[in-house]
Amino acid sequence: MHLFLEYVGFGLVSASILALAAVGFTLQYGVTNVLNLAFGQVMTLGALAAYGVNVVGGDVWEMVVAGGLCGAAASVALNRVVISPFARRGLRLFGMIVVTLSLSIIMGNVALIVFGFGTFSYSLSTSSSNVLGMTFTGDQLETMALAVAGMVGIRLLLQRTRLGRAMRATSTDPILARACGMNTQLIADVAWAISGVLCGVAGVTEAISVSAFSVTTGDGLLLTIVAAAIVGGIGQPYGAMLGAVLIGVVTSLVGGYANPTYTDLTAFVILVVFLVFRPVGLARGVVSERGVLA
Amino acid sequence: MSSSLQFYLALLLVYAGVDLIACWGLNLQMGIGGIVNFGFVLFQAAGAYTYAILTLGAPAHNAGAGAGFQTYFWGARLPFPLPFVGAIVVGGLLSVVVGLLVLPRLRGDYQAIALLVVSLVASGLILNDASIFNGANGLSSIPRPLEAALGLSGLGYSWAYVGFTGVLCILSGWVVWQISRSPLGRVLRAVREDEEAAKSLGKNPRRLRLIAFVGGGMLAGLSGAVLVAYIDAWAPSSWGYVETFVFVTAVIVGGFGSNVGVAVGVVLVPIVFGEAPLFLPSLVQASWFGAVQLILFGLFTMGFLWVRPQGVRPERRVKYAGRIKKLGASVAVAGDGAGRAGERGGTQ
Repeated sequence: MHLFLEYVGFGLVSASILALAAVGFTLQYGVTNVLNLAFGQVMTLGALAAYGVNVVGGDVWEMVVAGGLCGAAASVALNRVVISPFARRGLRLFGMIVVTLSLSIIMGNVALIVFGFGTFSYSLSTSSSNVLGMTFTGDQLETMALAVAGMVGIRLLLQRTRLGRAMRATSTDPILARACGMNTQLIADVAWAISGVLCGVAGVTEAISVSAFSVTTGDGLLLTIVAAAIVGGIGQPYGAMLGAVLIGVVTSLVGGYANPTYTDLTAFVILVVFLVFRPVGLARGVVSERGVLA
Repeated sequence: MSSSLQFYLALLLVYAGVDLIACWGLNLQMGIGGIVNFGFVLFQAAGAYTYAILTLGAPAHNAGAGAGFQTYFWGARLPFPLPFVGAIVVGGLLSVVVGLLVLPRLRGDYQAIALLVVSLVASGLILNDASIFNGANGLSSIPRPLEAALGLSGLGYSWAYVGFTGVLCILSGWVVWQISRSPLGRVLRAVREDEEAAKSLGKNPRRLRLIAFVGGGMLAGLSGAVLVAYIDAWAPSSWGYVETFVFVTAVIVGGFGSNVGVAVGVVLVPIVFGEAPLFLPSLVQASWFGAVQLILFGLFTMGFLWVRPQGVRPERRVKYAGRIKKLGASVAVAGDGAGRAGERGGTQ
């Protein structure tokens, strides 16, 4: 029982990181309809920005802010410099996937040349505390707090603000939204920025969690993030949160009881099962019967 | 020409032939059948592993003779054309299983992601369980077909194999060309464009998609066998998901749905974009070389899609009106209607 709680606790930490990333991924996909395979590279950039802050002596919260800002800047730049111009050239969904994949390959390898093959570690003081029979370090508690704050923030943004309503409208029917006088270009930029903040923060928390990260850490998590987003129902932030919790906890249990090398495989098996038996994802029915981003 | 350059050229030509067969298979699924298969490399891998175990012999035979370094679950030693036939059959059978599992339930981008994930799960299984196909180390020392029987020099055999690959390319090209211009190809395009309309004409989209998917899977299996028979080793690292994206990129750069366009895409993407960086002056540090090569690959691909988003040679609209007129005035009235349907079917 004790071991079980430890695994669940570790799973909740993974789930928090996954939730931040998957909500960012799915929010941007829902609003702009671009499957962004360079997402993992932006995570790495966020983690590296936080490393810079850590080296000059910033604390955890300053690192998180730096990671988030760097992620937002990179994400908006990606959209403005590459994605939007290609969309205006008339590239469709699958052509765009090839573009974001090329972008990911370019970013990953430039990062490899600039920052090298080595690993980076943050120097952070650690403490540990006991919550409900599960042991967490201070960093892990901060990670979970960040995830909860991020999820509540996204919920309030989407439900309570004009901007959130505009994002949901753009996601459901961009042409109608434009016809109603919404600046859909601006809304897309905001979606990329928010997605970038979540992505950067997820990168920092992942780097804290793995204790030594390299330039490939973010991209290594990409497919698990996509799995969480799809299990939740793609384009549905609340579903992505549920998907992240499911995948985070189940992979942690499988990794703990069976074999740590099976964690990625478990995430993919969960995804295949969902795609085959419940392709609309968790979100429909559990969270909402309405459309994307509802 | 120096012999090392000749070996390099022969290898490049075999790669080109393998990519051509594979991309024609992918185009049958993706361009003509409308199934975007992001797990395509799985079916190539299935063909490659099948060829390997059908030529390596039973694993017990390998225990002696210094070849007991690899484990696999079963093996046989079949004479020349049979391992290739086996690879085609296994590629097709695996496509039937995966197709029945994924195709009827999911559509569009979900289907693409599901297929990608199926290939990742398969790769993860083989990586983690060494008793299937020797895990991460993969299978090696896979015999080349008829190498001893032909008794050629190393270089002579390489060029003979290039010829063999060429013959298979011509055969595969003939098959995909026949399919895409046959009534089957027309119906597949109709299903791709408008499933409901095709249904209303009594066509069965589910069955038709499965046919396209299995056809593509058989070609993928063949391409895997042709590749592994020449390079004589195969491991999970040979079929990462990036390999699939190289094929998808070749089809999109060449032109969705056009078999000639896909051939151009194969020459451009894996061959020119992939190999050109090798001829760069050695300005870069050796340890960065792989990274620089991939950056250039990405830049080439993006640059190309910027200049020609629709691909080098997009699928042509098929027009039947002219052909039907020749048949005579009695069918001209019906032909007018068919001509319009044909024009619709030809657009993307």
